[in-house]
Amino acid sequence: MAPIIEIRNVTKEFKVLERREGLWGSVRDLFSRNYKTVRAVDSVSMTIEQGEIVGYLGPNGAGKSTTIKMMTGVLEPTSGQILVGGNIPYKNRTKNAQEIGVVFGQRSQLWWALPLVESFKLLRDIYQIPEKNYQEMLALYQSLVDIEPLLHKPVRQMSLGQRTLSDILAAFLHDPKIVFLDEPTIGLDVSMKAKIRTLIHALNREKKTTVILTTHDMGDVDALCRRIVIIDKGKMLYDNDIDHLKSFFGSYRTLKIRVEGGLKAQAEKIQGELPEFPVTADDEWISILVDEDKAKVIDVLGKLQSSYEIRDMKLEEISSEDVIKKIYEEGVQ
Amino acid sequence: MKKKGLRFYAGIYFRILAQDLKSKMSYRADFIISTIGMIFTNISGFVSFWILFRSFPSVNGWSYHEMLFLYGFSLVSLTPVQCLFDNNWSLRQYVYSGDFIKYCFRPINLFFYYQSEVFDIKGLGQLAFGIGTIAYSWGKIGLAFTPLMLIKLIVFLMTASLIMIALQNAGAATCFWIQNSFYVLDLAFRFKDYAKYPITIFSPVFRFIFTFLIPIAFIAYYPSLVILRPDQVPLLSWLSPLVGIVFFWLSYKLWMYGATKYSGTGS
Repeated sequence: MAPIIEIRNVTKEFKVLERREGLWGSVRDLFSRNYKTVRAVDSVSMTIEQGEIVGYLGPNGAGKSTTIKMMTGVLEPTSGQILVGGNIPYKNRTKNAQEIGVVFGQRSQLWWALPLVESFKLLRDIYQIPEKNYQEMLALYQSLVDIEPLLHKPVRQMSLGQRTLSDILAAFLHDPKIVFLDEPTIGLDVSMKAKIRTLIHALNREKKTTVILTTHDMGDVDALCRRIVIIDKGKMLYDNDIDHLKSFFGSYRTLKIRVEGGLKAQAEKIQGELPEFPVTADDEWISILVDEDKAKVIDVLGKLQSSYEIRDMKLEEISSEDVIKKIYEEGVQ
Repeated sequence: MKKKGLRFYAGIYFRILAQDLKSKMSYRADFIISTIGMIFTNISGFVSFWILFRSFPSVNGWSYHEMLFLYGFSLVSLTPVQCLFDNNWSLRQYVYSGDFIKYCFRPINLFFYYQSEVFDIKGLGQLAFGIGTIAYSWGKIGLAFTPLMLIKLIVFLMTASLIMIALQNAGAATCFWIQNSFYVLDLAFRFKDYAKYPITIFSPVFRFIFTFLIPIAFIAYYPSLVILRPDQVPLLSWLSPLVGIVFFWLSYKLWMYGATKYSGTGS
């Protein structure tokens, strides 16, 4: 089957005015302008299959939104090809819009003054959803989340969580091939986050909808995405399974121990004995970052036990958050 | 996907309109106050007109009732822009904050979708008031009431509306390029005040500007000549329906061009 999204060597450049400093600088800007070209997305390529949930990650200003805007047809790429469901998004914006759903975290696309059910009916008309499909979708929604109390509430009166939930339901309503979710859980409480993750997961499974998810919340990524794509400064850093990412960096584990005597002093002593691993100490624990390619944690522990009185210990896996942070900071070697 | 024709768009529009009215009427105090406000706005507009013309019985050969006709004509022709295109006033904020992007994701015409979101019910009072004024001055001037005259009146009212809408669209569309475009839009909208007067009272320079550059003379003056001065209608009056359509089309193209150039702020 042909991939649902194909991006080949896509680059997007913006011309931005270089402003001079100070009042005099502003006056000079009025008469002579210096433009510089900023490359927001730099020859990015990826292929996404129908039904995948892809986590699209990167620090603020990495070029995520720009890529999404190109895929939704709002922006035209400077160079390269994008095909979304066989369409060139920028050239067939309205045709592309029929095939996709979009949720931008804090910006509701629903009619502010209308009860949710009226927004749904309008969307049914706009997307020309057959009545049968529309009713089936509502029944599915009701079985996944209890939407009955939300249906007759004006969007304006909803809490942020309810509104986000409604926006997500609205984006899936016309059974699009792809849904773009831009930070869907931003600012939500823990239980609402869980509810929304479950919902996205269920809709993806039921409808085989491809989901492109941008987020800064690693909880979203761990709960939903098998595959992640990381970009920074417009360049693609990583595109692979999340498990692969962990094994790539995750040969590191942190061994934490508590021993008799002053922790700071003991930590320095341990560092002397284990020069290949960084050892740090805080008020409670001595932390040893063990690279398991070099030595097994259990061997390190055994070695320490022979010379120290270990009162307590724990082992920490490196989390995806740590991994991503490492990539943002150091890149992929 | 079926073809989206006029019926499709009309259906969507009336659905949004019905919902909008329903939700507005559910806020009773709000509804009553804006209705009262609307009545007073119209009355005060008329009173200042009346005071002015008590001291000047005629302006450049135009009698009080003919001026009243012009006044009523401009009120009615401003109704569509007020009722249907009021969202143009908010365009600037949507573009500035980046919220405009939400309009770009629907599989329907962007301009239509944006304008359909707001229907300003206040314009209806102005419409009623304007029709009353036209009817009253019509009788006082002693114009004949024939089907032909009625058709002329309707055609030229629509022409005038199109020009006003075009001015406002173009004014609003500047916000896609200019940060603070409120003044442009406000300026465009203020020109309507000059539309109430016969263009012959202005100096030749302004007459030229108001005819060819900012065509507000087409809002009330040239069209109403057809009805008030049937024996001395200039060619420009007969051209005004064409001018209206062309200007509306140009302003629509400008608006859409701006919207497609729009890239939104980062999020």
